[in-house]
Amino acid sequence: MTPKLRLALFLLACIVTLPAILLLALHMPAFGAHPLPYGDAIDAAAPGERHISNMVSAINFDYRGFDTLGEEFMLLCAVTGTVVLLRGSRGEALEARPGIVKGRRILPRSDAVVLIGRLFAPLIMLFGIYVAVHAMTTPGGGFQGGVIAATSALLVFFGDGYHGWRGVMKSQVLDALEGGGAALYALCGFASMAIGAPFLTNFLPLGTLKDVWSGGLMLVENAGVACAVGGGFAMIFLEFLEETRTKKGGAKE
Amino acid sequence: MSILIAALLLLLAATGAGVVLTRAPRRQVLALSVNGLVLALLFMALQAPDVAFAEITVGAAAVPLLFLIVLASMKMDRSPRPPDEP
Amino acid sequence: MNLLPWLVAAWLLGIGLYGIVTSRNYVHLIGCLAVVQSATYVLLLAAGYRWNAIAPIFYNHPPGTPAVDPVVQALVLTDVVIGATVTALLLALALQLHKRRETLDPEDLRPLRP
Repeated sequence: MTPKLRLALFLLACIVTLPAILLLALHMPAFGAHPLPYGDAIDAAAPGERHISNMVSAINFDYRGFDTLGEEFMLLCAVTGTVVLLRGSRGEALEARPGIVKGRRILPRSDAVVLIGRLFAPLIMLFGIYVAVHAMTTPGGGFQGGVIAATSALLVFFGDGYHGWRGVMKSQVLDALEGGGAALYALCGFASMAIGAPFLTNFLPLGTLKDVWSGGLMLVENAGVACAVGGGFAMIFLEFLEETRTKKGGAKE
Repeated sequence: MSILIAALLLLLAATGAGVVLTRAPRRQVLALSVNGLVLALLFMALQAPDVAFAEITVGAAAVPLLFLIVLASMKMDRSPRPPDEP
Repeated sequence: MNLLPWLVAAWLLGIGLYGIVTSRNYVHLIGCLAVVQSATYVLLLAAGYRWNAIAPIFYNHPPGTPAVDPVVQALVLTDVVIGATVTALLLALALQLHKRRETLDPEDLRPLRP
């Protein structure tokens, strides 16, 4: 199929679906009219039933906790696929020398960059943990906090270079974090089955509204998600950055 | 409030077109980053702070960084070299 | 104003698909896929919006004040994070492809050409 033919087919498909899209846009409910009743029911019921004030966390970890379990395992599969693809063809050795690009010198790091990297990496990791822990009271949660904490690891790379970064990031620790987080979430479900309730029932004491430690089982699930997402993203960064190192020896890809 | 949402929606349409029409991958990374930022602002205007949190970090920092690393490692010289070369 | 979010979502989907169809570089194609994904985020969040409502966090406001829909926000939140991970997987595939075939052009990578 030549590019022109592909483009012509695509434009034909667009022309055919355009009236349908316009008709659909005219029949959608007015923007802001909000006819969805499920959200209103949760807004009315959740603070009283579950004692937490962040409705999105309540849906993610309690009312639709089973969907989040599926998303966790999707993340695990995607990270495992990336690691298998990249590490499988590269091997497990850690390479000491940076990659060579023809015609470009490797410049030494300036002191300002090193200082900023060392100053801000722990601060941003602390901020990520803060966002993850305050899942039940303020906007935040395991997903956001995990990603912020993983991005802080990159500031270590920015400031200290490859050797400082590999000294801090051990890939066994990241593997354990990521797999352990997903396993913790699944174990929460099995723990509630062990006492006779359905899968992922909230059986721990619920605490008081507006307290950081409210929510019962949601806190444990939140911690699992934060570990898994943080570990997963840091694992992805690690694998990609290893790709920029030179292989020793004569093995051609 | 409605002017803000309308303006952000139009800006998002423009940056989305910018991402597609920037054919060179190096420059598309910057367009992706701007698109992520506008998307996060739109999510804030639509009263969704949780989602804006995730989108700022992911869309403006993590994904463009992955693109840059992949582009850099494609330009590397991967020919075999002897073991004791510095 | 009533139609604008739906039209912008359709526009982003259309132009993202146009980018995928006419792309000459696999890394550019993955960027266009991100645009298509953002169309679904806009559609979902615009469907849950309510005028003069607060975010669904009842920390400073008593429970019962009109809030925007939290269900679509939960959907989009997990979608954003997992979408980034899937983008990383696709980029790893593109990198492996470049290592084996030295090119990233879809036109040069037909399976049955010698």
